[in-house]
Amino acid sequence: MAKYVVMNGNMAAAMGAKFCRPDVIAAYPITPQTPIVEYLAQFIAEGELDAAFSEVESEHSAMSVIQGAALAGGRTFTATSSQGLALMYEPYFRTSTLRLPVVMAIVNREMISPQTVWGGPQDSLTLRDAGWIQLYCEDNQEILDTIIQAYKIAENSEVLLPVNVCFDGFYLSHMAEKVEVPDQELVDEFLPPYYNCHIKLDPQEPISVDPLTPGSLLIEYRQKHMEAMQRAVEVIKSVDIEFGKVFGRCYGGLVADYRLEDADYVIVTLGSMTGAAKEAVDLARDKGIAVGVLRVRALRPFPVDEIRKKLMGRRAVAVVDRNVSFGWGTGILYQEICSALYGISSTPIPILPYIGGLGGEDLTIDMFNKVIDDLKKAGPYSENITTRWLIRGESK
Amino acid sequence: MSLVTELCNKEDLLSPGISSCIGCNVELTLRTVLKVLGPNTILAIPPGCMGGVGVVGWGKTTGAKVPVFFPLLDNVASMLAGIKLYYEKIGRDVNVVAFAGDGATVDAGLQCLSGAAERGDKIIYICYDNEGYMNTGFQRSASTTKGAWTSTTPVGEASRGKKQHKKDLPLIMAMHDIPYVATATPAFMLDLVRKVEKAKSIKTGLAYIHVYNPCPTGWGFLPAMSIHMSREAVKTGLFPLYEVENGKFRLNYKEKKSDVKSYLRNMKKFAHLSDEEIDEIQCKIDEKWSRLLYLDGLLIGSDGGN
Amino acid sequence: MKDFIAPIGEELYIISTGDWRTHRPVKDDNKCNQCGVCALYCPTGSIKYDEGKKFWINLDYCKGCGICEVECVRKAIIMVEEEGRKNG
Repeated sequence: MAKYVVMNGNMAAAMGAKFCRPDVIAAYPITPQTPIVEYLAQFIAEGELDAAFSEVESEHSAMSVIQGAALAGGRTFTATSSQGLALMYEPYFRTSTLRLPVVMAIVNREMISPQTVWGGPQDSLTLRDAGWIQLYCEDNQEILDTIIQAYKIAENSEVLLPVNVCFDGFYLSHMAEKVEVPDQELVDEFLPPYYNCHIKLDPQEPISVDPLTPGSLLIEYRQKHMEAMQRAVEVIKSVDIEFGKVFGRCYGGLVADYRLEDADYVIVTLGSMTGAAKEAVDLARDKGIAVGVLRVRALRPFPVDEIRKKLMGRRAVAVVDRNVSFGWGTGILYQEICSALYGISSTPIPILPYIGGLGGEDLTIDMFNKVIDDLKKAGPYSENITTRWLIRGESK
Repeated sequence: MSLVTELCNKEDLLSPGISSCIGCNVELTLRTVLKVLGPNTILAIPPGCMGGVGVVGWGKTTGAKVPVFFPLLDNVASMLAGIKLYYEKIGRDVNVVAFAGDGATVDAGLQCLSGAAERGDKIIYICYDNEGYMNTGFQRSASTTKGAWTSTTPVGEASRGKKQHKKDLPLIMAMHDIPYVATATPAFMLDLVRKVEKAKSIKTGLAYIHVYNPCPTGWGFLPAMSIHMSREAVKTGLFPLYEVENGKFRLNYKEKKSDVKSYLRNMKKFAHLSDEEIDEIQCKIDEKWSRLLYLDGLLIGSDGGN
Repeated sequence: MKDFIAPIGEELYIISTGDWRTHRPVKDDNKCNQCGVCALYCPTGSIKYDEGKKFWINLDYCKGCGICEVECVRKAIIMVEEEGRKNG
C-alpha cells in the first residue's frame, strides 16, 4: 500500500538519508538547508534513526567528521549550501580523491557577494571539478529517491566516489509536494550494508592513509579516479533502472527528456526550472511547435554520449543557466553542452546561451516562451553566441 | 621494573629510521607516547615536522606500525572526532590520538579543537609545541615566545622579533571544562608518561596534553642540549608543568629556580634581545607564576559532573 | 608493491639514519651503573635493554646527536668521531 506524505524538499532529503541508515551524520545549519539538520536531529531524538550525530561548529568540521567516520568504515551523510560548501572545500576535494563514498545533499544557493540566501546552483557548479558525482533533482520525489540511489552508486565497488544530491534552495527545499515514501524493508534490500575494504583506519590492519606522494604515483591515482568516474556513467544508469524495478520510479539515468523524440528545438535545463520549461513546451506544442526539454540529471560525470545522441540533428538548442561563468560571459551548463556537441556535425547546431533566475528571481513560463520564440528564429551557430539575459520585465 | 626498563620492553611502534633532525625531542616524545598508548591506537599527524619526517610514510609506505593518517592542518580534531564516533557506535574501544604541532593546534586547528572539546569528543589531543612552523622553515605561530626570531618575524632595524606574547592554549583548553588538561616536556619523562597514561584512561571527554619541545634546528642550539633545554624551560618557569583534572588545578613542578636570562641567551633565536627585553619576559614569567601558584589546588573548571 | 586505488601505505618506511652521524656514542661499561637515563632520552630509541646485556647501544639508526653523552650522570658515554665510510 503506497504511502504518500506532503513534504518539502528538505524533509525529502532527510527522509531519504534516514532510510539509508547512515552510521554518522555531521551537519552544520545554513539557510536554506537548516531544516535538514533539524529533521535528522528529530528522527534521532525520536528513535527513528540510529546514527551518531555530531553537532559540529562549522561546515569545515562537518566534512572532516564525515571523512573520519568514513575512513573508520562508516556510512555517512551530510548536507550544506553555498557558503558552507565553500567553507568545506578544503576537505571536500579530499573526500573524492580519498575515494570515500559519502553522500551529501547540497541545497543549491547563490554565492555571496552580494549578500543573498536564495536558490541557484552556482555553489555546486563552481566545484564541479572536485571529483564528486553530481546529480541534480527536479522535484521532491526525485530528491528522496536520488539520495537512496546515491548510496548505491557511491558504494559500488567499481565507483567508490562521493555523490552530491543537489536541489534548488527554496524552490524545492521549502516547497511542499506530494511524495511517496518507500518501505524501509525494500530500501534495506536495495541498499545492503557498506564495508570499507580499500582505505580503512583499523588497528587490526594498520595502514597509513594519504602518505606524502610523488608525482608519478599521484598521476596513477588521478587516472584511477577518472576511470572510476567514467564507470559511474553506466552505474548511474543501471542503478536508476533497478530502482525503477523495485520502487516503480525511474528518472532517465543521466538525462531526463520531455517530448523530445520529434523535437526540432530543445531547451536544456538543470534542476527545478524544468517545471516551468515543460509548461512552456506544452503551450508551444499546442501551437504546433516541435519543441522539447532535455534536463541534465547527472552533471558529473558529464553525460557526453547521451547529450550527443539526444541533441544530434536538432534545428536549435537553448541552454538556460541559473548561474554564471565569469570568464566566459556565459553560464556553466552552456559551455559543457557546447563541448559535448563539438564536431558532431559539419554545420554546428545553433546553441543559444541564456542566463536567468539568479538570486532567487523566478524563471517563468513567459521567459521560456521567449526562449522558444528565439529558437524558432535562430540563425546559424555563429550568430547566437552572445548570452541573452532572462530578466523580469525586460525582453533583451 | 623501573620506568625506563618498562619503556624499553615495550614495542617501538614508530619506524626506527625517520628523518627528523638529530636530537629532535619531538621524535623522542612520539616514540614514548606510542609505547604508552599501545597498538590499539589510531594516530593523526597533521602537516608539520612529524608528517614531514615520514611518520605517515612516503609513496606506498607507512612510517608507523599503528594506523596513521594525514589530516589537514586545520581539521585534526574533527577528523578524529568522526573516527571515534564510528568506533563508539560499533562498540569498539580504540585510542584515537592527535599528535599535532603548535601550528595545527594553536593557529589553524583551534576552531575544530575547541568544537571537539566543547562537544566532549573522546579523543586524546597531544600538541608538540616547538614554538613555530618548524618543518617549513621556522615561521612564527601564536605559540612562539615574544621577542623570538622567526622567519616571518625576523630581526632587523625595524623589527625585534615576534611582537606578541605566547598564546596560553593549555589554560584556554582548561576553560572548556574538559576532563583532563596537562602540560609536559620530555626532560620530565616520568611526568610525561604518567600524563599520557592519565589521558588514555579518560572516558568522558577530550584529554589535552601540551608538550614543550625545544627545537635545536629552529631555535639555534646544539642538538645534544635538547633535553637540557627542555629541563631549563621548566626550571625557569618559562614553561610551567601543571595539570587540570576535572577542573582541579595542580601545579606539578613548584621549584622556579633559575632566571630566564641564561636560558634565553643560550639560543640563537633570542640572541638579539637586550637586557630590557629579557626583563620584560622575566616579568611576564613571574606574573604568570604567581598566578599559577595562586590557582594551585583550586577548582578552576567544572568538576566532571558532566 | 601492491596496486591501490586510493592513497594508502602498507610497508614500513625505514631510512638508514645510522648513515647520517659524524659522531658515535661509546659507553664505558665500567662507569655505567645501568640507570637507563640514556635510553630514556634517546630520540631514535637506539639504546636498548635486555636481560643479558642490560642497557646497550644499537648503532643501526643512531644519528649521533649526543644527548646520551650530555644526560649521562656518570659521564659513561663519550661521543667519538665516526671513522670514514667504507666503500661498497
